[in-house]
Amino acid sequence: MRKPMIENSESRLRQGVERANSAGASAAKLSLGHSESTHCSFERGRLKETGSSESLSYNVEVLVDGRCGTSSGNRIEKLDEMIDRAIVLAKVGSTAHFNAYPPPGALTPVKTHSERTLGLARERMIESCGQMVEALREYDPDLFISATGSRNESEDITVTTGGVCHQASRTAWSLSSHVQRTKGTDILFAGYGRGWCDLNEFYAPSVIAGRVLVDLRNAEKTVEPPTGKVKAYIPPEQLPAFLMPFMAGINGRNVAKGDSPLAGRLGEQVLAKSITIVDHPHVDYASGACEIDSDGIPTRKQTLFENGVLRRFLYDLDTAGLAGAEPTGNSGCYPYWLLVTPGVRPSSELLADIDDGIYIKALIGYGQGNIINGDFSCNVGLGYRIHNGEITGRIKDTMIAGNLYDLFAENVELSSDLDHAGRMPHAVIEGLSVASRSA
Amino acid sequence: MKARLLKALQKSTADYAEIRVETEDSSVIAYRGREVETAGTSSVRGGIVRACTRGGWGMVTFDSLAQLGEQVKEACACAKLVGEEKTELAEVEPVDAEKPVTLEHDFRGVSLDDKLALLKAYNDIILGAAPSIESSSVGYGDSFRTVYFASTRGNYFMEQRPRVTCRFMAVARDGALVQRAYDGISSTTTYDAVLGMEDKVRETAERADALLRAPKCEGGTYSVILDPELAGVFVHEAFGHLSEADLVYENAQMRELMCLGREVGVAGLNVIDDGSLGNYTGTGAFDDEGTPTGETYLIRGGALAGHLHSLETAAKMGAKPTGNARAIGRSVPPICRMTNTYVTNGDIPVGELFAGVDRGVYACDAFGGQTALEMFTFSAGYGYRIENGQRGELLRDVTLTGNVFQTLKSIDGIGNDLVISKRGGGCGKGGQSPLPVSVGSPHLRIRDVVIGGG
Repeated sequence: MRKPMIENSESRLRQGVERANSAGASAAKLSLGHSESTHCSFERGRLKETGSSESLSYNVEVLVDGRCGTSSGNRIEKLDEMIDRAIVLAKVGSTAHFNAYPPPGALTPVKTHSERTLGLARERMIESCGQMVEALREYDPDLFISATGSRNESEDITVTTGGVCHQASRTAWSLSSHVQRTKGTDILFAGYGRGWCDLNEFYAPSVIAGRVLVDLRNAEKTVEPPTGKVKAYIPPEQLPAFLMPFMAGINGRNVAKGDSPLAGRLGEQVLAKSITIVDHPHVDYASGACEIDSDGIPTRKQTLFENGVLRRFLYDLDTAGLAGAEPTGNSGCYPYWLLVTPGVRPSSELLADIDDGIYIKALIGYGQGNIINGDFSCNVGLGYRIHNGEITGRIKDTMIAGNLYDLFAENVELSSDLDHAGRMPHAVIEGLSVASRSA
Repeated sequence: MKARLLKALQKSTADYAEIRVETEDSSVIAYRGREVETAGTSSVRGGIVRACTRGGWGMVTFDSLAQLGEQVKEACACAKLVGEEKTELAEVEPVDAEKPVTLEHDFRGVSLDDKLALLKAYNDIILGAAPSIESSSVGYGDSFRTVYFASTRGNYFMEQRPRVTCRFMAVARDGALVQRAYDGISSTTTYDAVLGMEDKVRETAERADALLRAPKCEGGTYSVILDPELAGVFVHEAFGHLSEADLVYENAQMRELMCLGREVGVAGLNVIDDGSLGNYTGTGAFDDEGTPTGETYLIRGGALAGHLHSLETAAKMGAKPTGNARAIGRSVPPICRMTNTYVTNGDIPVGELFAGVDRGVYACDAFGGQTALEMFTFSAGYGYRIENGQRGELLRDVTLTGNVFQTLKSIDGIGNDLVISKRGGGCGKGGQSPLPVSVGSPHLRIRDVVIGGG
């Protein structure tokens, strides 16, 4: 990593802020990021490609007469020109709902950079991918197997007229494997991957391949889906998708613009009592870990839903001004790293208690409809039937539909065990509408 | 640039190497509700070196052009680490061309004030269309992209790819019920395409309002007539992606499933991909490997007739490259993609298609669609009930799902009113989205389609 590049950037960005000021901007924010990464990918069970990439980018935001203009680029020699262009755009730009970027606040330190991750060599990633491919090929030599690994290091710096000058560095790795099984016109996709900032025990090729193997075994047989209103068993990796409308609902921008069905409902029981959701940007090495938002405001741990009661809307600087609220340090009004509080019983018991239901591993076409209202209707990409507490086989050509605000309003049970990163439990919901072609 | 790229490629030690450099200047302005939400501009330059040795690929991306020779060497070193087989890349006619573009009305010469005034007028139409209209979104974007390409085969091209887009959405609310309607237009030739859309904008807003009073489409199995917009999206999503040879070429079972000559649809069904067609958003002179674009039949007379190829997939499947290796931007490799994909005209007037349906759904427009090869889910923007051959009341929440092979065989009527959409779609694959494409079709009638209900 060419650290001097970022170090020299600080003075360059400060000059840029001054330039914006003297050109008539009442406030300005400049940020610059530089990243380097290396990756490898396996296709059809053998190494197909490897390479590296480097990128630099900067963003400019200026306020002129209460209006905001933005520009971006990747050629540092054009920075002054892009600042000038942002100032011109600001004349017709969006109405800003703030006058100034806030001064620096007290930050909660969180670790995002790991020397161990920097030591992850391309050769080791290739070896790990090869290991996953072998494990899957051993199960079924006819599988079409893909695997990828990557390592990334990045540095960012933000300078504002509020006096913030913040530098952050981050490392990250990712490792995943995917299979396609084709039998006649019957096609199965399954895959699993992990990523983290620190090269810890989550980097486990055999565990990642093992997760794919479980899906392959569960999907050996195709069975008829149940139809009508059934229970659904949702694994941790799928739960965030089901929580999507609630996250859109607490997005302060959607609230202030009248798009959120949660507007005006702080303090109300919106979800089942079993559900507590926290946004926690200070989990060391988590992918969402972050000390400061893009406006220079410190991030914070916040409870969004407490025992199902709506506790918080998320606001960035501009939206807070629009809504007459305090900014919460959430860029774009999005959460950073959601944690769902576990339930009482283990997931094995939750599964064993289902007489007739479906296990949803992947969806096709989710989020196309009126998702902010909670409505959805989509195909089950990978799913199983659960009968008398056991997985009996794969279900296909199965459509599920419903309203997530209704489905998560009561009778939601969460498991006591969480995923490897300690984020999400398994969930069981009731009353999911299921239709199939054969029904 | 040509001399610079070819000089850097002299450092290549690989069987094959190429450099693609792109510059892109773009701007975006958007209203949301009463206010301007975004006003931004961007200017970027960068590229990618790809090298292939013994069938293995090495790739290096860059922002600065200062070290091109070194980056070629690094990509070659990566490829050498990978390759253990044989480099197989199809031959194409040598290329040495520059394709500058002259826009009829260049968006780069239009003032910000004019663009903003246009958007404000559209936005005001939406907000004033009905009391139920609660919010709006009107976005304008333009981009001027220049691609420079050279390879160790001595090929070189420069192509300018401009694009201007205007999209609008109306949001209507009645209590907890929220309905949206969208439309838009895209052009590669003139700024004027985004002018004069007042009627379309008004219709869109009125539809969002009307959808509040429309009943939900009940779940069940129906005879469905797809309008050209939705039929085009359906054929692109559900079938087109299966034709992309990179999903097929190294997968024995997929090659068998998608082998040429296989009957997949009714005898009258033809599907074509054509990157050289007119001036649509998927149109271009070359793909991102320097292959000229052209017409490829994917289905002819109901049987599989072709795949969409890159140099590598063409060589490995013994086919000719089709000019479908496309990259979304400067830092990603080209992969097999569609361009302008459409169903050719049948011979049934639309009225007759309707006459053949006692109880069904007329599904119009696409909110979105997703496929996992054989299975698909599409959300229509809106629909109508069909009873005794007549178009009936407006319906909301029309979501279609099914299996592509069953569904193509269930097409039992192809209209004679082909429309290739000027809306300009964005296609996603392999993390590269949105790639400009166009879709088209006449009206299609399909039996036994599952529509999901809430």
